[in-house]
Amino acid sequence: MAAEASSPAAPAAGSIGGRRDGLWLLVIWIVLSIIGCLLVALVWGPHMPPGAQSSSAASQQTDITVLAVIATPVIIGVLLYFGWAIAFWRQKPGDETDAAPIHGNTKIQATWITATAAIVLALAVYGTYELIAPAGAGAGEGPQPIWKPAGTVAQTSFNCQSPTAAPTWQPGTSNILQVQVIGQQWAWTYRYPQFGCMETTQLMLPVGEPVQFNVTSLDVIHSFWAYQLGVKADANPGVNNVAYTTPEHVGQFVVRCSELCGIWHGAMYNYANVVSDSDFVNWAKSQQVQLASVTKLLPPYALTYDPTVVNNMGKVNQQLGLTGAGGGYYNPADPEQP
Amino acid sequence: MSLPARVTTLVIAFLAVVAGGIFFALHYIGTQPPVEDYTSFASNGQVNVTLMTAAQTTVTDKPDWVTYFIKNPSTGQFVHTTYFKVPANTQVNVTILGYDGCTPLRNPVWGQVTGTFIPGTSEKNVENVAFVNISAPHNKTTSLPAKPISTFDSWGTCSVQHTFAIPGLGLNVPVASITDYNDNSNNLCGTSPCTAANADATAPHTVVTFSFRTPKTGGIFRWQCFVPCGLGYVDGNGGPMGTPGYMMGQMEVQA
Repeated sequence: MAAEASSPAAPAAGSIGGRRDGLWLLVIWIVLSIIGCLLVALVWGPHMPPGAQSSSAASQQTDITVLAVIATPVIIGVLLYFGWAIAFWRQKPGDETDAAPIHGNTKIQATWITATAAIVLALAVYGTYELIAPAGAGAGEGPQPIWKPAGTVAQTSFNCQSPTAAPTWQPGTSNILQVQVIGQQWAWTYRYPQFGCMETTQLMLPVGEPVQFNVTSLDVIHSFWAYQLGVKADANPGVNNVAYTTPEHVGQFVVRCSELCGIWHGAMYNYANVVSDSDFVNWAKSQQVQLASVTKLLPPYALTYDPTVVNNMGKVNQQLGLTGAGGGYYNPADPEQP
Repeated sequence: MSLPARVTTLVIAFLAVVAGGIFFALHYIGTQPPVEDYTSFASNGQVNVTLMTAAQTTVTDKPDWVTYFIKNPSTGQFVHTTYFKVPANTQVNVTILGYDGCTPLRNPVWGQVTGTFIPGTSEKNVENVAFVNISAPHNKTTSLPAKPISTFDSWGTCSVQHTFAIPGLGLNVPVASITDYNDNSNNLCGTSPCTAANADATAPHTVVTFSFRTPKTGGIFRWQCFVPCGLGYVDGNGGPMGTPGYMMGQMEVQA
C-alpha cells in the first residue's frame, strides 16, 4: 500500500504522449518547417556551394538547395521530437515504473514508408533530370559523352602546323570552345587546339560561351576540379574524359587536383579566370604569339598522350648509346610491375 | 593484479604507443633537409643563390638518385638539401651548375623559360630568358660564352637535364645539359657534389643563370623538377622526384 502510494499516478489519457502532445508537435513542426524551408531556400540558398559562376555550378547550387529544403522538415521534426521528449516526457524523480508496451501502428508505418519512398523516388527522377539537362552537370562523362550542350558542334580537326594561325573558334558560334586539361605531377597545363594548339599554364575562359574540357594525364591519376565552375573530371593517363560547362559570370576561380597524386598533391592548384569574349580572344591570340616557339616543340594534338613514348626519343637515346627503352621514355619493364 | 597496478600498466602502455607514434612521425615523416639561409647575405636588394645538379648522390644512402645541392652561403660548401630561405621583395640571382646528363622533358611545354627577368630591367617587363654557359667541356679548353635562351628543345636535341620550377611564382627554368653525347654518356662526374675537392669540378657541365624577384610578402613556395628523372620508378616519378632534398624542395621567403 505504501508502495502504491509512493508511485506516481498514471498519466491521464491525452495529456502526456497522447493526442494533445501530438497535436502540439504537429502544429509546431508545420510552423517551424515553413519558416525553416523559406529561410533555407531564400536566405541560405543563394550562398550554397559551389556558387553560380557557371551553368553547371548554378545547377548544382539549385540541387543542393532543393535537398536542403527537403531535409529541413525532417531535421526539424527529429530535433523537435527529441527536445519535446526531454522537456515533457522525462522520467519524474522516484518514478521507476516502465512505460506502456508499444505495439505496431500500421497507419504510422504505412505513412512513413510511403512518404520516404515517395521522397526517394522523386529525388531519383529529379536527380536524373538534373544530370541530363545541364549536359552532364559538369562531371566527366568519359571519352564519348552522352549529354552535350544543346546547339553546339565539336570541331574535330585542328590546324597545329602554324602556332600563330588564325583561331578556328569565334565567340557566338555553335563551334564549342575546346580546352584540353593535362595533369602532370604536379601542375596543370591547358592546351587550346583552336588557337594553334598552344599549351599554357594559365586557364582563361570566355563568359557565356559553352566550353568542352578534354581532361587527361601524362602520368598518374589526377582529378580536375574547377570548384566555382562546378566542374570535376578525373584525369587518367591514356583516357580522354570530357566535361562541359558554360561560365556565366566574369571572375576568378580555382583549379585543384582532387585525386591524391603524390607528395605535392596539395600544392597542385592554380587560379584561373572567366573574362569577356573580347578579352579572351585577345589573351589567346597574344598567348599564341608568346608561346609560338614552344608550341612548335609540342607533340601533335591528340586527345591522349602516351607518357612512356616520346617522339624523337629513339634518336636521342641512340645517340646516348641507350637502347634498353626501345625508343620509349623508360623501359616498360623498368621497374618490374607486380 | 590490483586495480592501481592495472591502471598504471594501461597508462604506461598507452604512453609508449603514443611516444612510438610521435617518434615515427618525426623521424621518418617529419624529417626535412637542412635550410640554407641566404637572408643575411642580401645586399642592395639582391641575393645570389647557387645550386648544383648531380647524376648521383654519393653522400647519402641513395647513391643512384639524381639530386640537387645548394651552396652554403657562409662556407661556400655544397650541402645536400633543396631547402633555402631568401628575403622578400628581393632580386634572386640564381646560378645552377648542371653536372647531370640529359633527359628529355616529358612535356615539352616546360622547355620554355618563364618568370625570369634580366637584371637591370623592370620586373614588369619579364624577359623569360636564362643564360646558359656550357662550361668546361671535357677535353676542351674553351668555354662558350653565356648565351640567352628562352626555349629549350629537349626532344630534338639533348639539351635539358632537369628544370627548376616554382609554380606558385610562374617560374620555370630548364637546366641546360651538355649537348655532347659522349660527355653525357661517359664523362659525368663520378661523385657528388662535383667540386674541386674531389677533382670533379672540371667534369663537363653547364652553368645556367637567371634572376627572379621574390614576392613582397613572406611565404613558403615549393619548387620541383619537371623532368621525371626517378629512373627505376614508375614513369620516373618516384624516388628522388618525390623526396625532399633531391629533385624538389621549398623556398621560404622571409618578409
